[in-house]
Amino acid sequence: MLRELGALLRREWLRYIRTPVWIISSLLVPVLYLILFGQGFNYPGGPAQYLGAPNYISYFAAGMVGFVALTMSLFSGANVIFDKGLGIVKRQAATPAPRSVIFLSPLIFRSLIALVPAFLVLGLAVLLAHIPGFVGLTVTGSVGGLGGFEIVIAVLVLALMFNALFLAFGFALESPQSYFGIVNLLNLPILFTSNALYPPGVGPDWLHQIAEYNPVSLCVNVLRENLFGSSSYYPYIPEVYLLALLAWAAAFISLAVVLGRRALRTP
Amino acid sequence: MSDAIVCENLVKVYGDIIRAVDGVSLNVPEGEAFGLLGPNGAGKTTMVSILTTLVRPTSGRAIVDGLDVAKHPEEVRRRIGLAFQVSTADGELTGRENLEVAAGLQGIRAPEARRRIRELLDQMQLAPAADRLVKGYSGGMRRRLELAVGVVHSPKILFLDEPTLGLDPQGRAGFWDYIRHLRKDTGVTLFLTTHYLEEADQLCERLAIVDHGKIVATGRPDELKQRTGGDTVVVKPSKGEDLTPILSAVPGALAVQVIAGAYRVKCDRGEAMVPQIVTACDRAGVEIVSVEIRKPSLDEVFLELTGREYREEGTEHSGWASERMGQMRGGRP
Ligand SMILES: Nc1ncnc2c1ncn2[C@@H]1O[C@H](COP(=O)(O)OP(=O)(O)OP(=O)(O)O)[C@@H](O)[C@H]1O
Ligand SMILES: [Mg+2]
Repeated sequence: MLRELGALLRREWLRYIRTPVWIISSLLVPVLYLILFGQGFNYPGGPAQYLGAPNYISYFAAGMVGFVALTMSLFSGANVIFDKGLGIVKRQAATPAPRSVIFLSPLIFRSLIALVPAFLVLGLAVLLAHIPGFVGLTVTGSVGGLGGFEIVIAVLVLALMFNALFLAFGFALESPQSYFGIVNLLNLPILFTSNALYPPGVGPDWLHQIAEYNPVSLCVNVLRENLFGSSSYYPYIPEVYLLALLAWAAAFISLAVVLGRRALRTP
Repeated sequence: MSDAIVCENLVKVYGDIIRAVDGVSLNVPEGEAFGLLGPNGAGKTTMVSILTTLVRPTSGRAIVDGLDVAKHPEEVRRRIGLAFQVSTADGELTGRENLEVAAGLQGIRAPEARRRIRELLDQMQLAPAADRLVKGYSGGMRRRLELAVGVVHSPKILFLDEPTLGLDPQGRAGFWDYIRHLRKDTGVTLFLTTHYLEEADQLCERLAIVDHGKIVATGRPDELKQRTGGDTVVVKPSKGEDLTPILSAVPGALAVQVIAGAYRVKCDRGEAMVPQIVTACDRAGVEIVSVEIRKPSLDEVFLELTGREYREEGTEHSGWASERMGQMRGGRP
């Protein structure tokens, strides 16, 4: 099992490094968002408006991390569709390697690789705060080892659950058209019902009710509460949000396993 | 000797109507080279897919190396190698990397894999291109890589689905050589599909000719050739005249059949018949476009069994041709 997994992880890695355009764009796009969107929409307001974040850009940059993890996962399933078209998945299915490995290798690789742009955004936002003429993320809390660990786990779990879901769609669907149809259907609603980009106070009340439970919000809450030391703005401690996020992940991954098993079953 | 492959009344129906495999029973003893020969759409790939656990049969049983493919697919996959009809290599990886991934998926350790891959790259004459991306490979190179991927773990039973499709004559001959050596060195059981009659003739000890999902004949290539019993002289009239009475009256004509507007005269020696046929037609005032002698070959067998010319491109099945086939069978001496 490990040797098979290793072989497929290596393939993922080789394919990744052979597409520099994709690497550069996946790193550049979030950075552009941060610079264009974050700088341009520097709304007034302080911790009271932004759930404890000292200003909008600090609030927004933490949200970007969740947004990036979600966006990166959308591409994973598309890759599977193309691999299927090339007969690569059929070739893998004809070997004695367990079917779970065929699903696990892109899941592991793509979830880990999503952390790179996600934390690049965070690092860059912190850096921008120190560059004259730019606004950036100001860490006002005291993020200890535990806080840092929670942040990494929250982003990783978010990446894993969305990658699992979209990979399952990739294995289950036949055409790129139907895949992108699903992506289109899910992507924006997930994003816009979260608190990743807009602070509470914008939009109707029912939206905030949903935003409380949105997995992207839960992930971003873990980041914000730790980064801005702002427990008074949140009803729960970060660990509670992390647990709620894990519950979502369990549900998504179960769904992905059911879908993926069915898709990889012999027709 | 026991059987490496057994099929019992295998059926695969797609979408309730297409009977891709329609009641196939066959067996391949261990170490044999068996060929499945048939035109486009005959069901060859579907047969291979069932035997390699990639497609579940609708009914019937398939046993590979003593194991039911539907019940023990993982065990079966461990024992087989497969080269797909369409290349499955990853274009963004080099030839060597593709083989390394394939070896890893077979659970082969890295040092052993490296040695085996070097050997295979040499045998397939891919060594100079080993570290180039496969997307820059020619069609022939891709075919050879596909074969290398199929045998990287030295399988007991090897399935090759139209392995020489798109190879030039030289490439094809090289491939045949490789397969002969492989069989001699390893005693691998070979299950090969092809629509090149020559290939089946060259490589296979036994053949099944399939058409529309059914086996229409099985036997050794020479046995099958003998079924046509002697030479055939093919005569095409310029207009749609009925030549049957004229040709049947020619001394030495054993039988006359019509397939797709061409008259086929069965005889012992075609060379002796041609002048007589030409004279007879002349005398009857019929103009003929061509006269051709055909020696017994698998092409002829195919034509007689299916009533269709064996072309490498897909030929449409026509009801008319099968009617004629029925007539021919009935009218045979
Ligand atoms: N997945 C599928 N869904 C529906 N029909 C299929 C499928 N696969 C094959 N068929 C049909 O089954 C029949 C047999 O196809 P198959 O690919 O086995 O033929 P083949 O002998 O390999 O042909 P070729 O020489 O063109 O490769 C064809 O009519 C084909 O259209
Ligand atoms: Mg085929």
